[in-house]
Amino acid sequence: MVKAHPAVSGGLAPSAAPGHTNAEPWLGEKERFMFLLIAPAGIVLVLFQIVPIIFGANASFRDWQLFDPVRTWVGLKHYIYILNDPTFLTVVLPNTFLLMFLSVTLSLVGGLALAHYLHRNLAGQWLMQTIILLPQMIAPVIAAMMMRWVFNDQFGVVAAFLDWIGFGPIAWLAQRWPSFFIVVFTDVWIWTPWFALILLAGLRSLPREPFEAAQIDAAGPWRTFTHLTLPMLRSVIAVCVLIRSIDAFRSFDVIWILTGGGPARSTEVFSIYTYIETFVNLDFGRGSAAAMIGALIILVVAGVMYKAAGRVMDVSR
Amino acid sequence: MARRRDGVRLLTSLALAIGVLSWANPAARAEETLNICHGGHPIMVASQKILDKWAKKEGVKLATTLIAYDVYVPKVTQMLTTGSAQCDIIWHNDDWGQLWQQYVVTTDDVAGIDNVAKQPLDAFWNDQHKLTVVPMAHTIGTFFYRKDLISDAEVPKTFADMVKIGQKLQKEGKVKWGYVGAMSFNNTWFSLWWTMWNNGCDIFKPIYERDNKVLAANDWTSIVDQPCHQQIVEFWWDALHKDKIAPEANTTYGRNEANAIFMAGDAAITVADSTFWGDYNDKNKSRVAGNIGMAPYPVGPGRSKPITWVDIWGWAIPKSVPPAHQALAKKLLGEMLTDEDGQVQMWNETGGPPPNVKVWDRLAASDPVFRKLKEVDFDQDHVHSAYYFANWPKVHKAYSDVAIKALTGKREDIPAVLKEGAKSVHDAAVAQ
Repeated sequence: MVKAHPAVSGGLAPSAAPGHTNAEPWLGEKERFMFLLIAPAGIVLVLFQIVPIIFGANASFRDWQLFDPVRTWVGLKHYIYILNDPTFLTVVLPNTFLLMFLSVTLSLVGGLALAHYLHRNLAGQWLMQTIILLPQMIAPVIAAMMMRWVFNDQFGVVAAFLDWIGFGPIAWLAQRWPSFFIVVFTDVWIWTPWFALILLAGLRSLPREPFEAAQIDAAGPWRTFTHLTLPMLRSVIAVCVLIRSIDAFRSFDVIWILTGGGPARSTEVFSIYTYIETFVNLDFGRGSAAAMIGALIILVVAGVMYKAAGRVMDVSR
Repeated sequence: MARRRDGVRLLTSLALAIGVLSWANPAARAEETLNICHGGHPIMVASQKILDKWAKKEGVKLATTLIAYDVYVPKVTQMLTTGSAQCDIIWHNDDWGQLWQQYVVTTDDVAGIDNVAKQPLDAFWNDQHKLTVVPMAHTIGTFFYRKDLISDAEVPKTFADMVKIGQKLQKEGKVKWGYVGAMSFNNTWFSLWWTMWNNGCDIFKPIYERDNKVLAANDWTSIVDQPCHQQIVEFWWDALHKDKIAPEANTTYGRNEANAIFMAGDAAITVADSTFWGDYNDKNKSRVAGNIGMAPYPVGPGRSKPITWVDIWGWAIPKSVPPAHQALAKKLLGEMLTDEDGQVQMWNETGGPPPNVKVWDRLAASDPVFRKLKEVDFDQDHVHSAYYFANWPKVHKAYSDVAIKALTGKREDIPAVLKEGAKSVHDAAVAQ
């Protein structure tokens, strides 16, 4: 027999023992259980996310050279320096947003195409699916090193191909835009399978009836895609774009390995700028300030995108 | 109660007796472990091998922590500034000699320290003028050429000779490139800087000066916009774009890429650390094995005599390490420094020139390769390959960005880029 809790059953509570109050506990049993369940994740979040952010924020207001951490309070000095640094304003920020835009857009388009291809249930599809997913299985650092050699002007396969068709070697990484193109290409190569995988799951979850109706109405493949598939996939696309955009904003490994931000800082993005200040110049104060500025920027961008994604999902419903 | 007290006394005496006996007898002493942290370069591994030999005799175990070169300085600096005792012995380098001077113990009392070359120690004196390093090997930028393609008479003596012989060999189809050498940050030594010093030029005025007081008295004025510097940037611009003796992508090459081209037999000349001698002559890795020559640097119009750098890699002991470990580490490092046979073996295995100058004479008498290295590097004029002050990493990065910008832009823009660059290099030097 289950005994009902007095507060739930509405029955009379037994008289309180002397010295004990009759007040309800602050958290009910259910809430306490919920908190217990999320506690491990919460502790990890606080220790490895919140505390480092607080330390970083603290460092950003101090004179904190790694080799001589005097930690004198300098107020907004580092923030003012960065926000007045022409490289940060005219190279780093535009590069960061351009990389974010191009990488996400091209990966989305490529992922959508691949997802459609894989949705056809062709023979040997499992093999194709595995091959297409390979770039996602390679660590970005290794993928970037591989690309650096692929585009190497002396030994790379691209150089060999260009040589074969009668062009001389191209010094891809010696100029700004070819370097930037290789960064975007590598990022797209790595992330397209991720889009494909999620969009394929989205495609497979779509109801069949609207597509059958479109077929009866003799709608062509393009019209079916633009008027049915895309609108129905809108919410999945919105979530993918949101997650990947935030990730692209903080891209580091691919760019560091491929160009190191060069030539002459021309492909530097926000994360490289922060890394150079912190770990090349050994200036933790300025590096932390750059990281905080980046965090604020991505917070605003993510907020706007989150709102837009919410609207897209509302429309989809 | 009395019996209990007697028992305690007996046990205490027994423990003390065992302790004293163990201490007196190294074999019975519990094995001490010293942790060595370094970047895993073959020379560091070879030097550790010498230490290991002596550690075994002392009943000490050596453990190794490898730290990637890219994060070595920040990681170890953080360890030193937080007082961590994670590493008992650390790899030390002239580039960051001054960054760590207050965090590592003095080494003037290490056995054999009097037998090392003095000039390379300049980066490692602390504020009390005490030494803070024990050299493990010398790092020397060396001019390598293909002796199967370039005869003794043709070995270039000037920059112009280098262009001439490079173009000749390219025209004859013997090599794709006359010269290849790493140039990207932070490989500036192997292209821009050796020509800079061999053209009577430097980064700050006065040239070749490394006394921070003198440099500060000159307000850390950068001379990268001066004619001597413009000449070498124009020389490299022409080498890449006009004379085409070096690949245009040379501005992006690190050591691996430059070495790959040279070892594939595609270039006639390179400049690299002398320690690559072994790799270049390894038949399993290199198509040019057995055909490598060494020569003094060619000079530019601003200088008549070659000049090179001879610096050291070394070991240091963090102050945060317990005193017993510090003493043990010093003992082992002293044994390494006085182990002449061990250093000869290190030279034979890696091409790392020994830290003990007494070994130089022995090697020069018996080993033609060392004799040649001594002739082309040790016996020449010397300049330090870095500046020894805290902002040096910033200066190096600023310099590299300026030079690469000039080399990847238009030739007529070089003076303007260098003028702007002189300011950014100066700003990096005086940044607070």
